[in-house]
Amino acid sequence: MTEVKAELVGSVWKVKTQVGAQVAEEDELLILESMKMEIPVTAPRAGTVKEVRVKEGEVVKEGQVLVVLE
Amino acid sequence: MTFWSANRIRPVENEYGKLVGELHARRKKNLAMGGAEKIDKQHQRGKLTVRERIGLLFDQGTFVELGLLAHQQPVRGGESDPDGTPADGVVTGHGDVDGRQVWVIAYDFTVMAGSMGAVGEQFKAARVRELALCYRKPIVWLLDSAGARIQEAAGSTFAGSGWLFADQVVMSGVIPQVAAMLGPCAAGTAYIPGLADFVPMVKETSSMALGGARLVKAATGEDVTDHEMGGSQVHCYESGVGDNEVADDVECIAMVRRFLSYLPSSNTEQPPLVVTGDPPDRLVDGLDKIVPVNPRSAYDVRKVVKAVFDQESWFELKPTWAKNIVVGFARAGGQSVGVVANQPMQKGGALDSDAADKAARFIRMCDAFNIPLVYLMDVPGFMVGSQVEKEGIIRHGAKMLYATSEATVPKVTVIMRKAYGAGYYVMNGKGYQPDTIVAWPFAEISVMGPEGAVNIIFNKQVEAAEDPTATRAQLIETIRAQITPYLAAGWAMIDDVIDPVETRRVIIKGIEQARDKKIDRPWRKHGNIPV
Repeated sequence: MTEVKAELVGSVWKVKTQVGAQVAEEDELLILESMKMEIPVTAPRAGTVKEVRVKEGEVVKEGQVLVVLE
Repeated sequence: MTFWSANRIRPVENEYGKLVGELHARRKKNLAMGGAEKIDKQHQRGKLTVRERIGLLFDQGTFVELGLLAHQQPVRGGESDPDGTPADGVVTGHGDVDGRQVWVIAYDFTVMAGSMGAVGEQFKAARVRELALCYRKPIVWLLDSAGARIQEAAGSTFAGSGWLFADQVVMSGVIPQVAAMLGPCAAGTAYIPGLADFVPMVKETSSMALGGARLVKAATGEDVTDHEMGGSQVHCYESGVGDNEVADDVECIAMVRRFLSYLPSSNTEQPPLVVTGDPPDRLVDGLDKIVPVNPRSAYDVRKVVKAVFDQESWFELKPTWAKNIVVGFARAGGQSVGVVANQPMQKGGALDSDAADKAARFIRMCDAFNIPLVYLMDVPGFMVGSQVEKEGIIRHGAKMLYATSEATVPKVTVIMRKAYGAGYYVMNGKGYQPDTIVAWPFAEISVMGPEGAVNIIFNKQVEAAEDPTATRAQLIETIRAQITPYLAAGWAMIDDVIDPVETRRVIIKGIEQARDKKIDRPWRKHGNIPV
């Protein structure tokens, strides 16, 4: 199980995956918006999306778990 | 051959032959290091022996060894094992790297685990430091050592030890210092890499920590292995003490040679010019496919670096730590340059404490060794918020301001897209004496983005408006229209707006223009960098 965490504080702009999705390494899971930038959050490894813990528009903290891969 | 002639030249048992023979026997014994069994063990661990490493470091046949015949001496009435300690566990001398003299201090793990004994440290390593500094030549440490040889060092004669670090500080910025991590580097000796200019680390086999695992257990009770505590997965990814993680000894030593190829032998020389065959006036193709015009979109700035500088010349440092800033060496028309580039792909390119720290140290290394700096700017600013304030981002960010401001080497700035706030300053904005500062046509130079500016400047006006949303949008557009490089160029605050394809030529011309740069500043003992 791999927890994908926010690398910086920001808001969730777009969720680009869903529970059960098969993802490859480097696939975009969601996009954060922070510091006037769209910041893609990518899968650190291939796997299945087990949980998506955030919704679009939600503000997340650095280190907060966004997605859990299995 | 006749019987009588063979008889006539038979070897004579003379004193000369015996004495020379003894020398060769001693040499042979010490060249054999800790013996076949220990060497096998070293290889089984995936490591090369100290002499194999030196063979890789230097141009063939150039190594000159000093102190081969050294061995352990009885210290303070203790026992010694002269036969079991060839070279006292450290091989020292000099050789050529691409034809230039480089000195080496290389620990031999097959001899008492490469532990640092009195002879090896106080006579051999100290002599290398003395001569390298005297001749103004780089030093490379090949580290694979259990640390201080406790049986020689325990007790209060420790009072007289430790000057190697003071030597390193004196050498800092005078001669390049490389600490190649090829095995353990425990306890205080970890300050050798701590003070070095370049620290490659071999994955799995190398580690460094101020206290080794056994000492940690005794001191705090924590159960942790040397590798868990101080392997490359810590120092090249989290702490930033290591520079580049490499797969094995061969790659590590090749990287040391490569690092040195960008640097002069000392701060009194210019870095070597290399013929790369890449034309200085080459137009840069493909940037339109790398850099999105939409300033909110990310891209990998390393693709820009590779496209702009001489082919195959990009050598990134600390690629796996503080990835929101990219630093490394490249060649621009054969000239060594230090590249500092924002990385929009990581944290949107926003600068944080580690990024500022990484950049500041790199900028100071380039400035110390006469390597021109090229800043490729696309920065939304410094990270803001409670988290970064707790880290002390003002203090860390100030290091980068300080380093950029202090650097007197030729400095060229290319504003690719965003140039916001103090991010613009630390990336060598106009106030920091760039020799050339240019912008691409879609550059955005501003203290902050239009949305933030409207929130601050026109807050009351927006609130009082009949239609606050429409008023806000209108004000944002008014401010957005002011964010254009032609305004800065119209004031001659930047030197030019350039077509991105001209970037390479402009950088090379900018460095050439500043070749005879001389900046005089008021005398001081030294500044007070906010470390």
